[in-house]
Parts: sequence; structure tokens; C-alpha cells
Amino acid sequence: MTRFIVVLLALLALAETAFAAPPEPATLGEGQVLRGRFVQERHLKGFQAPLKSEGHFTLVPGRGLLWRTDTPFAVTTVMSPSGIVQEVRGTETMRLPASKLPFLSRLYAMLGGALGGDLKALESMFAVVREADASGWRLVLTPLKADDPAMPIRSITLKGARLVEEVEIAKPDGDFDRLRFLDQDLTAGPPAAEEVQLLGSAGRS
Amino acid sequence: MKRLAALAWLALVLLAGLYLAYRVQDGLTFRTDLLALLPREEQDPTLQRANEAVSRALGRRVVALVGDPSRERARAAALALSADLKVTGLVSSAGDEIDADRMKAMGSLYFPHRRGLLSAGDRTLLLAGRGEDIALRALSQAFGVFGMADANLLRNDPFLLLPSFFTGLPFPLSRLTPDDGLLTVVEDGTTWILVSAALAGEPFELDVQERVIGAFDASVERLRQTAPNLQVKRLGAVFFAQAGSQAALDESTWLSTLSLGGTVLLILLVFRRVGPLLHNLLALGVGLGVGLSGSLALFGELHVAALLFGTSLIGVAVDYSLHYSACLFDRTCATSRDRLAHVLPGITLGLVTTLIGYMALMLAPFPGLRQIAVFSILGLIAAFLTVVLWLPPLDHAAPLRHGHGMLAAAGHLWRFWEDARFRVPRVLLLLLLVVVGVVGLTRLHANDDVRRLQSLSPALVQEQEEIQRRIGATAASQFLLVRAADDEQALRRQEAIAATLDRLVGERAIAGYHMPAAFVPSAQRQAENRALLRDALESPWLASQRELLGLPPASPERDDPVPPLTLAAALGQGGVPFLGDLVLGSGLHVVALQGLARPDAVRAALAGVEGVRLVDPTADFSALLGKYRQRALLLIAASALLMVPALVWRYGWRGRCGPWCPPRWPWPWPLRWRRWRARASPSSTPWRWS
Repeated sequence: MTRFIVVLLALLALAETAFAAPPEPATLGEGQVLRGRFVQERHLKGFQAPLKSEGHFTLVPGRGLLWRTDTPFAVTTVMSPSGIVQEVRGTETMRLPASKLPFLSRLYAMLGGALGGDLKALESMFAVVREADASGWRLVLTPLKADDPAMPIRSITLKGARLVEEVEIAKPDGDFDRLRFLDQDLTAGPPAAEEVQLLGSAGRS
Repeated sequence: MKRLAALAWLALVLLAGLYLAYRVQDGLTFRTDLLALLPREEQDPTLQRANEAVSRALGRRVVALVGDPSRERARAAALALSADLKVTGLVSSAGDEIDADRMKAMGSLYFPHRRGLLSAGDRTLLLAGRGEDIALRALSQAFGVFGMADANLLRNDPFLLLPSFFTGLPFPLSRLTPDDGLLTVVEDGTTWILVSAALAGEPFELDVQERVIGAFDASVERLRQTAPNLQVKRLGAVFFAQAGSQAALDESTWLSTLSLGGTVLLILLVFRRVGPLLHNLLALGVGLGVGLSGSLALFGELHVAALLFGTSLIGVAVDYSLHYSACLFDRTCATSRDRLAHVLPGITLGLVTTLIGYMALMLAPFPGLRQIAVFSILGLIAAFLTVVLWLPPLDHAAPLRHGHGMLAAAGHLWRFWEDARFRVPRVLLLLLLVVVGVVGLTRLHANDDVRRLQSLSPALVQEQEEIQRRIGATAASQFLLVRAADDEQALRRQEAIAATLDRLVGERAIAGYHMPAAFVPSAQRQAENRALLRDALESPWLASQRELLGLPPASPERDDPVPPLTLAAALGQGGVPFLGDLVLGSGLHVVALQGLARPDAVRAALAGVEGVRLVDPTADFSALLGKYRQRALLLIAASALLMVPALVWRYGWRGRCGPWCPPRWPWPWPLRWRRWRARASPSSTPWRWS
């Protein structure tokens, strides 16, 4: 699961640089904040309808990611170098400190690499296939190591133009998640005070 | 007559020698478990078995932490070290790896029984009526960005209770997390990887130590050539044992060389001949051989402690032949016959009183003391008979003429005790000795702590502390033994003390604990959990949960009649790590304690709980040493009293005070025998050897 988070974060950041299609790649770096809405559909075999959630996210390079689900109910997930915390209606339901996650230190290496347009971090875990045309690009990632219990993923497909617009994650048993990113807004300047506070909450142990 | 006796003795000694040779060739081993020394009435075979099983599991554990600033290098080094250790054939995997296969095995073991399994936290929530928290948690996992629940799991376990049970399972090494298949901890920029293995042999066997540690060191040496920043910390009984046996071997070689060399040199210097040396060695050798052979025949096996104590006490035996040889300086004893006649009363009395002392030891119910006593009695008799029967025919030496100076010096010493002129200083000296003795006795306090008997390598102790700081508390050698009629009863007992143990964790008396009941709850607890699940979670929340998840409404018959998970099933599949170490037999379980800081608090908290007992092998053995000490002191007093009749018979009531002191210790012997010899001069002795 943690590996999955790492991949996701890296991908979000990646999209800003290396695979941004023409006309020009945006560079997401320190001092910038990416905000947007997301729609997530989790397609589970045997379920009548996909589990659909919507909300908004904030990515602050170097500080972490806020993933706030608004519907069907409020869940706030904070990822930072210090760890991961999840809250539902003000009640903490998960807390994973960084000491429990050796990945987190690697996450930062990956994020840094990704932000600098360095694909090596991803290529150590995935076989990467790139396609691009005038309208945008497509990227298919397949894990190098099959049957890795830490990464139950068959493939990840990303689509986008300037920014990542859609991610599809296929699981080995046929389930898949589809994430769409809307209304993305890349701004310069520090994150809001509330965002800073939330990002800091993951650091408490 | 004498010749016949000497030949008969020769035949006996040869017989003993043959038996000993037969046993040695058969592979002579000595018992080393300390519990075998316990008094018989206090021996508890179950406890002994538990102790052996736990210390074997602990003793065979080999743990190393491999650290490097580069994660990749650390991982490669850990894998290489692990492989190099396995090549020795003496090391197998520790059985606590958490890999994909094991996760699958555990999943298929627990899945059918999931309704009876609740993590401690979920149980508390449900008992407090907070089922909604659990429902929300499951929803947030299902809808959240890190969805780990797959469709199959969500359909069957819409509250995701089984993953919660899994994360709540007590795994040791709390600070480590699996990173791509290897247990890892990152600290200050260094990635530490755990290498964990189990010895196939005994950590106290020298051969095992040499091969395993040799392979370990060679592997680390090789790895360092490619990774100069590599750090390796080690932990395990085998490392301590190797350091200890190396030190002991060095020290004992040095000490025995020194003492043997010194003794040989002294005898050669005093007698200026080889004869007395050979006579002494003969008497001592026969004594040791017959003692060993006889007690092996009597007991079948010997404890190594009996051998160690016995051989040192048998050193008394060397005096018999020394007394005999000392007569070489006496010109009135021209022949070997005269010499024997001269010393016989003295050494006979010495033998009789010493035997009385050892026979008193045999009265003790301690098997260890009995073995020491029998070994010493046989050895002393054998040495005595060798001196009496063999030395005269072997000794053809003329009296020695060079000893004037030594004899005169000894005579001076003796004069202090007999000459009337020294009466006042003599009394003063005795008074002074009494005062010193009394003052010393008041300051005397016994320390039976067995740990004082060994010194651990400080470097290894430091590495052990570093490892424990990084990976979290490791298992203590102390543990709780839970005994009950059957497994179900034993599991219930553990569930009953879990709250107490949690409190002890809160009070930092222990860092953590692992009990079989955490892996497999009792059938009773599983039934309770199913009822709790139905009443506190499913009745109020199941319908809405399934609706939110988009699942069809549950079928009315929810509580499928699945039999509870049994310990036997969990053990049989072997997928559950650590469980095998905790279950010793039916109804006999171990609760392993981590980081035991305050054994007294644990003992007090569990006092009076039926069937649960804190086992602390070190403290138990220290207490045993204390018992031995008290019993031995009593026996010394008793044997001193028992010797009175023999001494009275020999010296009469008037002379009884002189020689009356326990003739047990080898050191003051020569002084005492001189006194006896002086009083038992040949002219006055009623005993003649013929």
C-alpha cells in the first residue's frame, strides 16, 4: 500500500515535467502549490456500482500531499515526510509514522527526482512505456517484479496534456481504480495556513 | 598378604580403567542443564521442559543488523551475509520472515474463522458501543486514496475486521518494518537490515561456534571490501558463548599450566628426586580415574558441576602421598615399611574424618552434592589405597639427607605453638584471629547471583544494546509459563491476564508480550466475539454499511456455523510465525516477555493467578546456589560433629580439641597432618601395619 502511495505521489509530480506534452513543460518546484479536484472510482468485481468519491487535493513539493474526500463523506488524508495520517469526521482512523515506513525516505528521493525530470526512480520499479501525440501523452507502467505483496498492481496508466488528467490503476484480480483530476491550478507562493497545519499534523507521533 | 592386596587393588583399578575407557569411547557427555542440580523434591519436569525449550529457542537465535548509508548496499550485504551463513549448513532461517507465501498461508488460515477474531482495539471499541467508528474506518479505507481492500475482502468482511486483526497481531521487533521483503529500520541516514537465523546445533558446542562465527566474520570481511562504510552488529548466545569459551580456554590453560608447573617444580625442589613426583601423580591419577569411573557406574551420568567441584576436592587426596613422601626426610624411617607405618595412623584418621564429611553431603537431597560426595569418596579411598598398597613396594629410596634447613624452618614455626615462652603472644594472636573472624562474620553477606560467575564480553554487550535500541525490545530469557488441563483452558488463562499485562506495559515493567491467545483466541473468546460482532456492529450498522459500499443486502442467515479456529490447526499449518515457540504442549504455553525491566512488579502482579508463573532461569539458579550454600554450611557443621567420635577414640577427650576442625579443605592439611603425626608417633601408636 505504501508503495502505491509513493507511486501515486511521484506520478502526480512527474506529470508536471517530463511528460508534459508540447507546447511547454511546467516545472513544479519548491515554492509552488498544485491544487485541484479529483473524482475517484473504485471498480470492484461483484459490486453493483463503483465506489465513487470526490474531493480536492493539495500538493506542496517538499511538504507533502493533502487528499480531502468530500463525498460520500469527509475523509482527510495527510502525507508528509513524517508519516501518514487519516481522519474521518475528526476521528483519526490511521496513523503511520515515518519510522514505520522506510519508503518515506525513498519517497522524497523519488519526488525530488521526478520534479527534476529524472525517471530513474520510477524505472527501478516499473517498466515504462511512453506514447505521445499532439493532444497529449499516455504512460503505461508495469511492475518489474510480479507478485510483489507490497505492490498488488498489474499496471498503471496515466493520461494527460500539460498536467496529469487521468490515472487508471489495475489490480491483479480485475479490480481497478480510475482517478480523474479536474480544475488543476498551479500557483506560486506558500500554502495556506490551514494546509500547513494539516501537513504538520502527520508529524506528531 | 600385602602383595595379594596390592594385586587385588591393581585388578580393581584396571577394571575401573576399562569401564572408563568403554564409556569414553562411547562418547562421554556430561549433563550441563543447571536445573538438574535442583533438589529432587523441587524438580518439576514440566518446568524443566519449558525452560529447556525456551532457552533453546532463545539460545539458537542469531541476529545481526547490517547498516549502510546506501539502502541498496545494505540490502545486498544483508542478503550476502544471510547466504554465507546458510552455506555452513549449521544455520537455518529463523522462521519469522514475513513473505508473500506466509501472508497467503495466514490469510487462508484465518479467513474462514474471521467472525470470531477481533483485534484488541476493535473489541474495546465494540464493548464501549463505538461500532460506528469501526464502520467509518472501513468506509474510509474502501473509499480512501490508499484502498487496500479488494473486492473479495470487502464483500466478506465489510467492516474490514480481519485486516485490523492482522495488524494487531503481536510481532516482535517492533521498530522494524518490512521493506521489499527485508525487515528494515532507517536511522540517521543509515539503513539497517535485519539478518535473522537459527542455529541448527547447540550454541555452546565449540565446533558450531567456530564454524558459524568463522563464516560470519569471513563474510563481513569480504563485504567490507566493497562497502567500506558497512556496519555489522551482532546478537546471539553463540557470539557470547564463543567469546566466553575463548576467554575461559585461555585463562584455564594459563592457570592450569601455572599451577601444575608450580606444583611439579615445588615437589622437585623439595625432594630433589623424581620418585615422589611420580608417586603423587600415580595416587592422584588413580583417585581421579576410580572416582570418575565409579560414579559413572553408580549414576549412569554425571553433571559437569560435580566433575568440576569433585576434581578440585579430590586434590585432598594428593596429601596422602605427600605425607608418605615427606617421611623420606625422617631418618628413623629407613625403609618404605617404616614410612608407611609412620603416616598410616594420620592418613587413616584423615581419610575417616573426610569420609564422614562427604557422607554427610550424601544426606542432602541435592543430586549435585550427592554426585560430588560419591565422586570424592571413591577418589579419596582409591588414592588412600594406592598410597598404602602400592607406594611401599614401589619406593626403594633411602632417607633424604638434604632437608635440614627446611625441617629446621618448619620446626621454628611449630615451636611457636608449643614453646612455653610464646604463650602470651600465642594467646594474643589467637584472640586477634577471633576478633578478625567475628568482625569478618558480621560483615559477611552472601551474593548468590549466578551472573557474577561469568563476565560477558563488554563489546558484545554494547552491540546487543545498540541492536535492541534500533529494532525494539527483544525477548527476555524470563517468561510466563501457563499451565492448564488443555489448550482451551490455557488460552482462557492468558486472556484473563492480558489486562494485567497491558497495565504492566503501561507501567513500563515490560515492553511487550506475546501469547498464543493473541494468535488464536480461546473458543470461548471466539464465541464472545461473534456475539459482540452481531450485537454491537452488525445489528446496528451492517445494512447501512453494505448500502454505502454498494453491496446487496445481507442474507438473513449471517452467522454461518463455522467451528472456532483451534490452536492445533494454527500450529498444523505452520504459517503463523513465533506460535510454535510459544506452545510447548497441550495446555502448556509460554507467554514471551519483551524488555522485562521489573521482574518483581510482574511477579507481584501475577501472584496468586492460578496456573501462571513467571519463570526466571537466572534468578531461579541464583536462588538454588543460595540453597546449596545454606545446606552446605549446615552439613559442614553436622559432619564436624560426626567426626568427634573418631577423634575422641584416637586422641581421647583431652586431645580432642586439637585436631578437631573439618578436614575438608586441602590447603591447611599439611599443617594439620604434622600435628597429628606428632601426636601419633610410631612408638605410641597402637596400629601396626602387617
